[in-house]
Amino acid sequence: MTCSAVDAQALSRSRRQVFLGLFIAIAVSLHAFESLLPTPVPWLRLGLANIMTLVALYLYDGRAAWSVSLARVGIGALLLGRIFGPGFWLALVGTLFATSAMIIVYRFAGRRLSPIGISAIGAGGHALGQILAARLLVVQHAAIWQVLPFFMLFTLFAGVLTGWLAALLLEELREHPAFTKSERGAY
Amino acid sequence: MKAPWHFMTGGDWLVVLLLLTSSLGGIISIAAMSEGSRVLITCGDELCFTAPLDQPRTLAIDGPLGQTKLVIDERGARIVESPCPRKICVSMGVAKHTGDLLACVPNRILVHIDGSSGKEVSYDLLSR
Repeated sequence: MTCSAVDAQALSRSRRQVFLGLFIAIAVSLHAFESLLPTPVPWLRLGLANIMTLVALYLYDGRAAWSVSLARVGIGALLLGRIFGPGFWLALVGTLFATSAMIIVYRFAGRRLSPIGISAIGAGGHALGQILAARLLVVQHAAIWQVLPFFMLFTLFAGVLTGWLAALLLEELREHPAFTKSERGAY
Repeated sequence: MKAPWHFMTGGDWLVVLLLLTSSLGGIISIAAMSEGSRVLITCGDELCFTAPLDQPRTLAIDGPLGQTKLVIDERGARIVESPCPRKICVSMGVAKHTGDLLACVPNRILVHIDGSSGKEVSYDLLSR
């Protein structure tokens, strides 16, 4: 093949761009699919799109995770017609909290935490960010904090579930030639 | 398919356990916080009796139809006997949290649980 003629760095950069684009597309479709599912309480969702943020974080780095999560919030809201509505701001602040929490903890804990632990932390950050945004933007009353523990309990379950799915996916992807160690390093 | 615990490290268990205990602790403390401390009884249009919720007692309240019996014990306040035809107030069960209400409309008796220091939580904004 002519691969040897291509600059290895440029190749791995464009490969990363292609895969991140794919991850964002999957995340947006998971988000859209999830919004079609019935929920007992509005705004109570599993956050399946977070699987792709976790995969980007584990396969690449924090910047990749930011790209996936922010693009997912923006494109997802655009697609569902919720952009700049009150729900959008809640989702955005929740995602900012979740992604920062996951990246910071991942940087310090490294391999001592599996995607399940990182996802549980992200889910907790998401709940905290959403309630904070709701407190400031929607319900200007301190009583909203009483919802937090109930929200936290549900979100913990959701976080472990999405973390588990991400761990299963990562196991498959790591065996793929595009992500194996020899392929990721210099040619 | 591998189970979640196949992937979970010691750190993961710690994170999950910490989040679980903190949210359960929060739920328990909220439940404890909302426990009322005072029973207010309204007969007709005016307040006719106030009693602390933590002292067990039995009260007989007079209304237009006769006597309604109210019991306060460690479970909370409840109406055990009433002359009203449908006994809805008896079937309303126990009231113990701030804002709980027992009403015997035919006998014009209203039992209302209150917080002690006016720290009553208002849900008006949430239900709007």
